[in-house]
Amino acid sequence: MNALADIAIKLLRQREVGLVLLILLVTAIVSLVDPGFLDDRNLKDILVRSAPTVIVACGVMLVVVTAEIDISVGSLMALLAALMGLMISHNEWQLSMWIGIPTVLLCGTLIGLLTGALVTLGNVPSIIVTLGLLTAIRGATTLLMGGENIDGLPDELQTLSKVGPAGMPLGVWTAVAVLIVTQIIITHTPLGRRLFALGSSDYSARMTGLSATRLKLFAFAYTGFLTALATVVDVPRLPKIESGIGSGFELLVVTCVVVGGVSIAGGRGRLGGVVLSVILLTMVRPVLTFLDVGEAGEKWTKAIQGLFILIAVITDTVVSRSRRGGARNTSSRGTQVAVPRDATGGPAA
Amino acid sequence: MSIADFMKRFPWWHEVILGVLLAGLLSVVGVVNPQFLNLKGQLLLSRHLWEFALLALPMTLIILTGGIDLSVGASMGMCAVAFGLCHANTGSLALSCLVCLLIGTAGGAVNGWLVSRMNVHPLIVTLATYATFRGLAEGTSQGESYSQFGDGFSQLARGMWWGVPIPAYLFALMAITCALYLSKTPSGRYIYAIGHNELATRFSGANVDRLKFRLYTFSGFMAGLATIIYVSRFDTAKADAGTGFELDVITAVVVGGTSIYGGRGNIGGTVLGLLLIHETRLFVSRQWQIEELRSIVIGLLLIGSLLLYRVVRPVHRD
Repeated sequence: MNALADIAIKLLRQREVGLVLLILLVTAIVSLVDPGFLDDRNLKDILVRSAPTVIVACGVMLVVVTAEIDISVGSLMALLAALMGLMISHNEWQLSMWIGIPTVLLCGTLIGLLTGALVTLGNVPSIIVTLGLLTAIRGATTLLMGGENIDGLPDELQTLSKVGPAGMPLGVWTAVAVLIVTQIIITHTPLGRRLFALGSSDYSARMTGLSATRLKLFAFAYTGFLTALATVVDVPRLPKIESGIGSGFELLVVTCVVVGGVSIAGGRGRLGGVVLSVILLTMVRPVLTFLDVGEAGEKWTKAIQGLFILIAVITDTVVSRSRRGGARNTSSRGTQVAVPRDATGGPAA
Repeated sequence: MSIADFMKRFPWWHEVILGVLLAGLLSVVGVVNPQFLNLKGQLLLSRHLWEFALLALPMTLIILTGGIDLSVGASMGMCAVAFGLCHANTGSLALSCLVCLLIGTAGGAVNGWLVSRMNVHPLIVTLATYATFRGLAEGTSQGESYSQFGDGFSQLARGMWWGVPIPAYLFALMAITCALYLSKTPSGRYIYAIGHNELATRFSGANVDRLKFRLYTFSGFMAGLATIIYVSRFDTAKADAGTGFELDVITAVVVGGTSIYGGRGNIGGTVLGLLLIHETRLFVSRQWQIEELRSIVIGLLLIGSLLLYRVVRPVHRD
């Protein structure tokens, strides 16, 4: 019995296992109520909706791994969408798509770089920088769009964002590519290992000669770039660009990263968990629709997403305590740093 | 004592800088728009200030311990819905106010429990409750808004005693209590100690967990109190009450010189920070009539003030 419990706890400590079980459970329940849930179209819809979140979460995960945070991605997405709309829409400045899109990608990277510079060179905590930018950029977006919606994006972009190669929209393919690249960065490049080293112990990383400034600059710039990429591939899916676009997106992304098992104290986390939690959290809305709870039920989406983070952090604490032998060790709870896990706690592939 | 020595040891640099900034802002405003500086008008316009001001007090205490509470705005939404629902069902204002305060306190206690007992980082806890509280508010109210609480009730926020808005008295009372608590009581001093070195404070025998739990609970209670004034001012209770308040409150506290890492700052600085933010907001929306500009200015002010404090590095007494 005890051995069984041990195995169960060991398995549950792998965040991915818990997430897969939860996804399967939810899918089973919903498809019992309405088999239409397992329909190709619905499954594809879930994938398409998770794509932008996956893309941005890859960047934010790296930021969180270095023990920083970025909560400005939603506003940034809105600003970049507005910029893209203004440049390439045939009702606005009518620039070529091949000028507009690289500019958007460049702007995203630059704003990410600016965020990183404020955090590292300016020495301002990242939560404050990105909280300030969250509002400032949102204001700038509304100002830029002047309360109007932007429509008339080029047809080829709109088609690509709906049906790309092999029937899957461009967003899904981009998400897959970004996932592969990020996984390679994490596991197969010195850069990725350094990011984790920096997050595990800022002091030791500095002592071994790593540049915290450069590493963090990379993480923020990468997030900015990926936000721009997500904007380019996902926003044209909608018929028009509204100024409220992307609001609440930052919360969703951070939720996914945390629920996916990335430690907010830095240095620990795996991409697999993040992807699974994106899928789980994206499923919330379709699940509510298929359970036929109607308009009333969909108002609960935010509460359910919030509860997911709470559950994730509580299980994290409970599981890590039970591993330490059940008894709560009061004196060791002094520091805010997460209790170090065992040797497998790194970003093993 | 030489002048350089005096400059180095002078303990009030922070307040002086804020005072100069405030005076500078007001004189610019006075030149551009003289009518703006009328005392009566200012008191009338101060209505927008009191909810923020009440929330800034517990936020100062929490940030002093090195924590943060992002859920205050969402908590107000939850309290507002509780207030509205209770009033719609019972018709009793006193009961509604009580429920509103209770719900706020309960929300704060959840934050406090998670932070102190479960030892989860406050940023994550309050980000989660930020979504949960707002979601609960939206879910239970289904987007409905409650109103018509009567003229007597709206006098609470709009009324004046001797030419000063009623909430101002409430704020003054709370601010003085908090300031005395911070500077004169042992547990107030422990708040600074936690911000400086939590582990050392624990080892020195202070009940850190209990203190933190109480601070977050207090923050929830104040969110309930702020909601009552908010609802009274607009005569409407809706799930979107207090949207975005957390940013303005944190900005005021940080601009007021409280270190985001904890251990440094005081209520006096927060009051000056509140005034600075309030006047900036009023001036910007008065002068250009563009709402968006206001959020740009506040966001940049938040980042800018921290950058500035990095450069000038004022000496601090605690």
